[in-house]
This record gives sequence, structure tokens and C-alpha cells, in this order.
Amino acid sequence: MRKIALALMICLLLPCFASCHEASEMDDTLYVIAIGVDQGVADKWRLTIQFPTMKSGGGSSSSNGNGGNSSSGGGGGDDESGQGYATVDSPSFFVGIDMLNASMPRKLSFAHAQIIVFSEELAQSGLIGEYVAPIGRFSEIRRSSHVFVVKGTAFDFLKENKPTIGTTLSKSFQVFAAASENIGYFPHITLENFYEGLKSPYGQAIASMAAINEMESSSEEGGPKEEQEFKTGGEYLAGELPRDGKNKLELWGTALFNGDKMVGELNGDETRLLLMIRGDFRQGLYVMQDPMEPELIVSLDVQLDKKPQIDIETEGEQPIIRLKFQLDADLLSVQSMIHYENPELRPLLEETFKKNIEEGIAELIQKCQELYCDAFRFGENAAKNFLTIDEFESYDWNRRFHDAKVEVDVDFTIRRTGAQIKSYPIKEPIGEE
Amino acid sequence: MIKEGKFGVQEAVSLTVIAIVSKVFFSSPAILAGLVGNTGWYMTFISAAVALIGFGFIYLLLKRFPGKDLAEIFEISFGRVGGFAASGLLGFYMFFTTITRTNEMTEFLKVYVMPLSPNWFVAGIFVACVFMLCMLGLESMARVSKLFIYFLVFGFAAVLAMGVQNYDVNNLFPILGQGLDKVAFHGVIRSSIYGEVIILAIFAKSLHGVKYIKKEGIRAILISVVIISAGLLACSLTFPNYIQQEITSPMYEMATLIDYGRFIQRVESIFLYVWVIGEFISASIMFYSFIRLFCHSFRITDKKPIVIGSCITLYALALMHKDIITIIAGYVAVIRGLGSLPMLTLPLIALIVASIRKKGGDVQCAK
Repeated sequence: MRKIALALMICLLLPCFASCHEASEMDDTLYVIAIGVDQGVADKWRLTIQFPTMKSGGGSSSSNGNGGNSSSGGGGGDDESGQGYATVDSPSFFVGIDMLNASMPRKLSFAHAQIIVFSEELAQSGLIGEYVAPIGRFSEIRRSSHVFVVKGTAFDFLKENKPTIGTTLSKSFQVFAAASENIGYFPHITLENFYEGLKSPYGQAIASMAAINEMESSSEEGGPKEEQEFKTGGEYLAGELPRDGKNKLELWGTALFNGDKMVGELNGDETRLLLMIRGDFRQGLYVMQDPMEPELIVSLDVQLDKKPQIDIETEGEQPIIRLKFQLDADLLSVQSMIHYENPELRPLLEETFKKNIEEGIAELIQKCQELYCDAFRFGENAAKNFLTIDEFESYDWNRRFHDAKVEVDVDFTIRRTGAQIKSYPIKEPIGEE
Repeated sequence: MIKEGKFGVQEAVSLTVIAIVSKVFFSSPAILAGLVGNTGWYMTFISAAVALIGFGFIYLLLKRFPGKDLAEIFEISFGRVGGFAASGLLGFYMFFTTITRTNEMTEFLKVYVMPLSPNWFVAGIFVACVFMLCMLGLESMARVSKLFIYFLVFGFAAVLAMGVQNYDVNNLFPILGQGLDKVAFHGVIRSSIYGEVIILAIFAKSLHGVKYIKKEGIRAILISVVIISAGLLACSLTFPNYIQQEITSPMYEMATLIDYGRFIQRVESIFLYVWVIGEFISASIMFYSFIRLFCHSFRITDKKPIVIGSCITLYALALMHKDIITIIAGYVAVIRGLGSLPMLTLPLIALIVASIRKKGGDVQCAK
């Protein structure tokens, strides 16, 4: 009798374990991959979502494909890329979801949302805090989602967000965002990082910049100029890279915030320096002017040896920041064929690069100080000088950073010289007048 | 008199550790962050030290009355009426704790995992599992604990290890958080977090004597403090203080942040197993302690009708809470703040009264 009762009980419980209340079929759900937020026209916010249409060989979205330009709902898609988008003007994110659900034959799920993009206009208006705070509370969106500030509108950005390699939208952007580690031209900022930055007494928030590149700068007429000033390649801002190709999107640079207001933008080079100071820089390819033949360049593969050493004095009125870090490099190319591998010449190269980095850092910190933006999280190190949270908060680091004195010391060593240990000059052409 | 099987040191330690540790999965790290800042991970050592002292009194009490369990000792120390009141108070506290854990579990599952399932459904499954474990008895519960604790510790350690990518040592500064005075104060007050060690005294007759109980209690507290401290430290390393106190379940949220590329992410499902199984066992043993104390107080020898009736009451009360904030800021706050009174102070009072009234120990032996 006891065994029968137990068996009956288990049989009765089994349907419960099948999760019938939460059950949802894969194809009953629309998995949103990207969320875009702009200032609205018909209402306060314009919410744009992007999702895979889950049609083999691509396909259009559920709606009539008239784009998302309507102010209260609509959708569009791309027959080739297999992704669709929809947009709505709504008073809040959550109402927007339900408004979109009303025009979608699938239930929206944000469990797989990977990117959240805010328009630059929204970020500069200081309204981003109003939007991020509610999203942080929404357990369906993971705090590991990537956050970007886009030039132009988030709607246009998502419309252009198509997988140019492969067919998977989710994979495409995940790999794209992870490129930060290998190039350092934009930071890898998650919703958690961004949210922390907005509330932090230890520093200010930053976000990756993104833009649509209209490919105009690479197609300028006139051909190559004979004498061009030296460029590092990192001095561009997002959307300005002189390039061409099918993918119009680019992630480049950093948006700087003061509170929840975007107050500035860093270019690629500045972003690398920022990441070095934050200890987030892993690797990046650099060019520098050849110290002996300035019209030619030397290429380096630079890596951050270990997290920077940051000591902050907070005793006096003016905080003093002492920053020290070690960069290692591989020599990639020497156009001049000068024998920089030679231990007598190598210090010249090292000193020149070190000086460039130190000057760059000093300028960058000054720029951020003017904006009251401790994007470097120096405050976290300053906190070590205080015993309690109250003491630190009353010190008001974010305000004090503005007046801080900074001392930078960079160690730079060329560790390896690539697959060559010596450069032998290329012979001059003969028989040419 | 309810007869229970006996079980060994490992089972007893496993059961007690699970009962103690499961709290860290819920809002405790967030509440602690609000009270003491980023110092919860070492504040808990103060709590454990106080709990060890409290357990020392429990041990002395059990030593004074060898072969007796806590409810019987209360009766001898305080007399029939006083013992009834003391057992009733402890039993009520155990029942209140079970209700709170059921509420916590239900609400947290709804927030993170099953937002569409109604409360009656989630709480129903929970109470059904508690009911089944209680029907199977203490020995089964202890053996289940021993079986699962390896998986639970492994899952917990795996989440902590994988979370390393999000750790930032700077989050531990300022090192004294909200101040040493607050750390010490809350460290003492929140010693109730280890109060579940009292179950060893409640079920003393199922264990192999006072000498073993001493060993089990000390081991359980020491293992628990390591696990709890590691969990709190991981939370503090992952979230700055001002964020940690906002999050409903920092441990779960920490697991969701683990992302090692496309193939290793969304590992919170591991954590979910740890969370749910741990909580089932924890709530069951607390509930069973109540059943045991209740049956003893009213001289009931058959636990089954009491288990059935109490489960129905538990289910009804588990559905009566107003909202999640009432649970976190109300019920849980009461348990953490006052929990050490029934769990650690009551045995001390019983020991003092027994000494004054010359009950137990050498005095009784001499008689």
C-alpha cells in the first residue's frame, strides 16, 4: 500500500516537473538579439529590437517590411541576412515590449539579447540613466550584454547590423564585440560594467562607441597624396575610418560619461591608452615614426605585461596619482631596414615609443580631468587609502580627480624581433635614370 | 515517542552544513552589503566564533544530560510547563524559519527562473518535497544530505572558480566597509546564521553520543564558515558594495555573469541545482525539527498526521506573505536579528537553570 501511494505520488508530481507553467516552444518565441534605444517622436523612447527570422536562407520579418520609420510600431527585415527588426515609440521599455508583442506573431524573449545600443543624442541628453536602471532590474536581460553608444540613431545602426560573414546574427556580434581584446580600439563594456559606472563613487562610466561608416573617406578622388603627415591609424573617431566593404558597422573609440551624461569621446589611440591604464589592454598593433628616418615607420605588436601599478596619495588637498606600467613588444617591421635589433640601437626605438605613450597618457588624463570623468577607475585605488566607505565617500573622489596631479612612468621593452634577428638593406634598383 | 534511526558523523555534518549554508544563496549577501559594506566575508568569522561559543553551551548542556535530546533537557531543566514553553518557542521559530525559506525560495524562483508560474504551484512543489522528505524520516534526510553534499560543494566551487573573470580585488576596499563597530555588532547579532547547529541537539538521540555531537557541531560550523565566507567574498569581488546591495540574489546574478565565450556561458543552471536541492534539504530539516519538538511537547507518538497537518499549514502560510520585500526586510531580518535567542541563548539559559536547580550532571548522578 505504501509503495503504491509513493508511486502514485511520483506519477502525480511528474507533470509538474515537466515545467508546464513555463513551457514555451522554441518556434513560439522570438529571441531578441539586439535592443536599440533612441529618443522617441510619438512618445518618450524609441525602442528598436533586432531578431533572427529563423528562416532558412534568410527572410523578411513578420511585418510587411516597410521599415521601422513609423512612430508606433512596424518592422522590417533583410531577405538575405535572415534578420528582422521592429521599432516602436513607447513611454517605457516594458510597455514597448508589450506594444511590439501586439504586432508580432511570436512572444518576445530577451534571454538571448546580446547588445544594447543607445543613440549618442540620448547619451548626451543625460537620459540614459533613466533607461539603464529599469533594464538592470529586468531579470530576462543578462548583465553580460554588451553596451554601445552609436552615432546617429540606434534604429539605423540595428538596421545595418547584418552578419556579413556566416549567417548567425548572434555569433556575428559576439565575435565582433570580443575583438576588443585583440585590438584595443574599443573597450569591452557589459551592461554590468556600465551600470556600475553610472553609480560608482570610484569613477565614471564608459561605453564603446559604434557607428555606421558611410565609406566616404576612402573613396575621395585624387589618388594618394605624395606627402602625407604621419598617422598612427588610431586617431580616427567612430564612423570615420577610411575603409570600404560590405559591413558598414564599426566599433571604435570610447564614450565618456559624467554621471549619466555623455560628455566626450575618445578616438582609437586614446582608447588604447585608457585600456592600458585600466589594465584591460591585452594586445594591439602599433606604428611609430622611425626615429632615424621619420618619413618611414616601424611596426610593433604591443602587449601589456601586467596590470598597472597605481599609487594614489590623498593626504593633501590635491591628490597625486603615480601610474607605472610595463609594456612589452614584438618588432613587426622596420621599413628603413635600420638594424634596430642591435642592442645599441634598440633603446632609441624603445625611448621614442615610451615617450609617445607617456605624452599620450598625460594628454588623455588631462582631457578626462577637464570633463570630470575618471574613466580610469583611479578611485578604486584611492579607496585603499581610506578605512571606511563613509570616509571615502566624503572625500568625493569624482570631484577631486579634476585637480589631481599625475605622474606617469612607462617601461617599454622590445622583447622579440619577430622571425628575423637582423635587417639587411634592400638593394637599390640599378639601370634607372 | 518517535523512533528514529541513527546516523554517523558525516551524515550529521552534511545535514547541518546544508541547513546553515543555503541562506547565502538568497538575499543575505545583499542585506549584508547594506549593513556592513564589503566586509561580510570576514564579518561572518565573528558570527561563527560567537556560534561556536553558543554551541559550546549546547554541548555542555548535552553533556550534563547524557542520552537526552534538547526537548527532554528543557523539560528537566525548566520543569514540565517551562520545558513545554521552551520547546514551543524553539519549535515555533523552526516553523517560522521553514515558512520564510519557502517564501524566499518561491519568490526567488519567480524572479529569476519561473516568472509565469503562480505562487501556489511553486510553493506546492516545494511543500510536496518537504512533505516527502519528512515522511521518509530523519535518517533518510541525513543520508540524502551526505549523498548530495558532494555535488552541491562541487557545483558551488565551480561557480566560484568560473566567476574569477569578474573578480576585482579593488571591490574589497575600503577594507573596513561601514566601520569596524558595525562589523563587530552585526557579526555578533548575525551569529544566528550558524544557529542551525542546534538540530544536532534536537536530534541528539539519533547521533552516537555527546562526544560525537561535539565533533559534528564544530566541524559543521567550521565547514559552513568557509563556504559562507567564500560565497560572500566572491560576491564582494564581483560586485561593488553599492551594486551588491541592490541585487535580489547576488550569488545567482554572479553566476549569470560568467561568460567564457560561446561555449561556456549561462552556467547559472549549475547554480540553480545547488540552490534548489540545498534549499529543499535545509527547509525539510528545519520543518522536521519543528515536527519533532511539537510531537514531544504534546506527547504525540505518531508523526504522520502531524506532518500532513503541518504541511497543509505550511503551504497555506507560505502563500500568505504580502511581497518579496516583506520577506527580505521583514521575516528574514527578524530571523537574522533574533534567531540567536532561541537557537543559541535558550540552551544557555537551560544550562544556567539546570545548574541553579541542580538538575543533571554529577548532581543527579550523585543522587
